[in-house]
Amino acid sequence: MINFAQTFIDALSLGSLYALAALGIGLLFGILRLINFAYGDLITLGAYALIIPSTEAVATLFIGGWPWFMVIIAVAVIVVAAALLSDLLVFRHIRRADPATLMIASFAVSFVIQNVILMFYGSRPKSVDLWSNLNYQIAVSGLRIPLLQIVTILATLVLMGGLTLLLKRTALGIQMRAAAEDFRMARYLGVRGNLVIGLAFAISGVLAAVASLLLLSQTGTLSQTMGVPLMLFAFIATVVGGMGSLIGAATGGFAVAFASVFLQAYLPDDLRPFRDSFVFGIVILMLLFRPAGLVPTKALVERV
Amino acid sequence: MTDTAQRRFLRAALPVLALLLGVTAITALVALLGNDEMALTVTEALVRLIVVVGLSVFIGNSGVVSFGHIGFMCIAAYAAAWATCNPMWKQLMLTGLPVFLQQAQYPFWVAVAGGAVLAAAVALVFGAVILRLSGIAASIATFAFLAIVNNVYSNWDSVTAGVSSIIGIPTVVGPWTGLAFALGAIVLAFWFKGSRFGLMLRATRDDPVAARASGVSIVRVRLAAFVLSAFIVGIGGALFVQFLGVATVDMFYLQLTFITLAMLIIGGMGSVTGAIVGVFAVTVFVEFFRFLESGVAVGESVLALPEGSQEIALGIGMALILIFRPKGLTGSRELRLPGLGSSRRAMAPPLTTTEATARS
Amino acid sequence: MLEVEDLAVSYGGTTALAGVAISVKEREAVCVVGPNGAGKSTLLAAIAGGVPPKRGRIRFDGKDLVGMRAENIARLGISLVPEGRHVFGTLTVEENLFIGTYAMSDQRHAQRDAEQLLGYFPRLKERWRQPAGRLSGGEQQMLVIARALMTRPRLVMVDEPSLGLAPKIVDTVYSTLLALRAERGLTLLVNEQSSDRMLKFSERIYVLRNGRILLHGNTADLQDGEAITRAYFGFDEHHTPATSEAAA
Ligand SMILES: Nc1ncnc2c1ncn2[C@@H]1O[C@H](COP(=O)(O)OP(=O)(O)OP(=O)(O)O)[C@@H](O)[C@H]1O
Ligand SMILES: [Mg+2]
Repeated sequence: MINFAQTFIDALSLGSLYALAALGIGLLFGILRLINFAYGDLITLGAYALIIPSTEAVATLFIGGWPWFMVIIAVAVIVVAAALLSDLLVFRHIRRADPATLMIASFAVSFVIQNVILMFYGSRPKSVDLWSNLNYQIAVSGLRIPLLQIVTILATLVLMGGLTLLLKRTALGIQMRAAAEDFRMARYLGVRGNLVIGLAFAISGVLAAVASLLLLSQTGTLSQTMGVPLMLFAFIATVVGGMGSLIGAATGGFAVAFASVFLQAYLPDDLRPFRDSFVFGIVILMLLFRPAGLVPTKALVERV
Repeated sequence: MTDTAQRRFLRAALPVLALLLGVTAITALVALLGNDEMALTVTEALVRLIVVVGLSVFIGNSGVVSFGHIGFMCIAAYAAAWATCNPMWKQLMLTGLPVFLQQAQYPFWVAVAGGAVLAAAVALVFGAVILRLSGIAASIATFAFLAIVNNVYSNWDSVTAGVSSIIGIPTVVGPWTGLAFALGAIVLAFWFKGSRFGLMLRATRDDPVAARASGVSIVRVRLAAFVLSAFIVGIGGALFVQFLGVATVDMFYLQLTFITLAMLIIGGMGSVTGAIVGVFAVTVFVEFFRFLESGVAVGESVLALPEGSQEIALGIGMALILIFRPKGLTGSRELRLPGLGSSRRAMAPPLTTTEATARS
Repeated sequence: MLEVEDLAVSYGGTTALAGVAISVKEREAVCVVGPNGAGKSTLLAAIAGGVPPKRGRIRFDGKDLVGMRAENIARLGISLVPEGRHVFGTLTVEENLFIGTYAMSDQRHAQRDAEQLLGYFPRLKERWRQPAGRLSGGEQQMLVIARALMTRPRLVMVDEPSLGLAPKIVDTVYSTLLALRAERGLTLLVNEQSSDRMLKFSERIYVLRNGRILLHGNTADLQDGEAITRAYFGFDEHHTPATSEAAA
């Protein structure tokens, strides 16, 4: 029972991280039909922004040494700027392209960001000690819960709550939801396409920034591809949850995390290394048998 | 206007012949006049040419972007590695290999054929399952396939040596072997494009509704292209490890997927000529930047671009192509020779479905 | 008010419009009829900025619309109700209705306009907080027409309002459009496949086929339907477009 509860909390915290990243990807897909591969590299960028650019093996904290709220704000500003820049320089010019072309363009952006990081920070992974006191474990009735897991879950709840308020209660948010469902129709009604898209990139940037801080405090290691696996799982989360639906993206994040964590815990030993294959296999099955995802939106059925 | 069968054949065949000659000439020039390093570069480029031409057989004809073909390359590459690597090493490191692979060392030909056939067989099974999905959903499924192949080959330690390399593969592939297979791949791609299946497939791409109405089974024609393209890409994979002498699973993942797709897009997704031009253009471009990264003497001092510039330039180049020339350098058209008029088969004009099925 | 000249649009290889000219005057009700694939939807979408023209001019109050963004065209006072309704299914009826006024940040008349429009479409009031995706087809059609009117456009373009609706509901839709026109001095440009109803509804009719205008004239002169039928089925295709003498 204890074992199960521990696994459950692990899944919840991993699911929070996936849900955060999946929301960022789902938001852009809903509005632009862009599956943004560069999202993982925005996460990487956020983490590297904490240290002084140098190719030396030892990392020296820069932004990372500031008070925690300043760290969040500064990283968010940097990542949002990068996200907006990627739109301004690349995606804005191919708005009418089909999803596969957009995905390839995001590959190109991803490749560029990864190598810019390589150029300024060198290729060796570096260890960084960000908020290591979060690794402190709280013992609750036989369970040992790292503080970081609680922080991750709380951060996700706060961001999801904020995002929900924004989308449901503000004029801009309602326009975004309309645009996510039917971009062209929204524009016929006067919704400014570039404003809404810019906002979507900005929000996805904030989510990526928080994800990068949580990821880094968990792993403690910087590498040029550190964001890629998170992006991949977030991406499949949006497919599983229902592309274009934000509730779907969040649900998908938790679903994928629960699948991973429970497969890890309960698969036979010799199959355990292939856990990710099972997770990716689920994606293919979803596409075949439930293409609209766990939380289907009507809009999507026409889309994919 | 009367048109003899012979002239029609010439019209179709001459541009293909010209492309074959072009590739041969460039290879010969570099292999005979260049240094060893250049011979390696051209061999690698030819292997990539095979892979990209293979990609174009599926992507170019079906219009569905596949992110999974490097997975097929990986499967074939490992099959070739299992077949040719030193048996002593295999018995020590790859304890899970079946005896017929573990005990023996097979010749080059067997390795290439075996690898390509295995890739094609996997493509047949996987394609039959996913190719009924529509555009982007099919693309996502191919992506999931790539991730699965990577995960399995990274962790199946007793058979693939996990994330470490398989070593001791005889390096028998040089520029001439590469050339022979590249020419074969090009001919195969043109043959498929002009075949009944190729025509039908392009009809389904251009007008899926009409194609379905006219009874073309989209899944069946897509599957044919998918299997053939996996076969060609598989040949590329089998050659690649016998060129490098090692096989590592990380060679066959996102980076190579990106580079091969970049080549295809830069050249032009819709044509075999595009695939060839793309490989050539990207290789020259990358080599040029690699040269700049290694340092150029300017007067007294040596100027060198920092590490990573080459990749950044490639990414930017690709984004520029997508923005300003979405059909690639060739405009996704096949090579045209002046004075021959347009060649229907090689040109691949937009076909109506009725036309395509009428020819079948 | 609206002048379209020599408008050509193509999608990839297929030509949807090949040199179309129409004009609409203030407070007119003008109708474009034509068979499937004639290019009717494309014409309206091009005017609204949804598809880029290959060549031609589109002028609204003398201002050139070609190359303008759809959202800015909407701000000039042109509202399109596209084919197939396009409600935002996950948004509530209320949210759907106010999208335009949010977008143009013009809430001055929004509440009053909404009240007034709900007078025409009382069913919508009952569904006020429900997701619009749950409305019936007829209710959705009412919602998109009301939604298009919320920003006080001067030209309203409706693409096949009768599509998939029962004849009785279609009658309601058209009588509402006419009532709104009388009340607000709207100008209407409506697409339909069949001309029957249009002979009563509109003042002028254009017949579009294969991306060309084959006939245009005053409704009054076309009441017997013969000329329209001929144009509609393409009997006159190889002649110059017929124009009834009285046409403006
Ligand atoms: N998005 C598109 N992509 C490609 N071709 C299109 C697209 N939209 C329309 N077409 C083509 O353009 C032509 C005109 O289409 P359009 O939708 O304007 O006709 P329509 O008169 O509105 O027909 P309907 O009465 O069926 O609505 C048709 O041949 C159609 O196939
Ligand atoms: Mg239409």
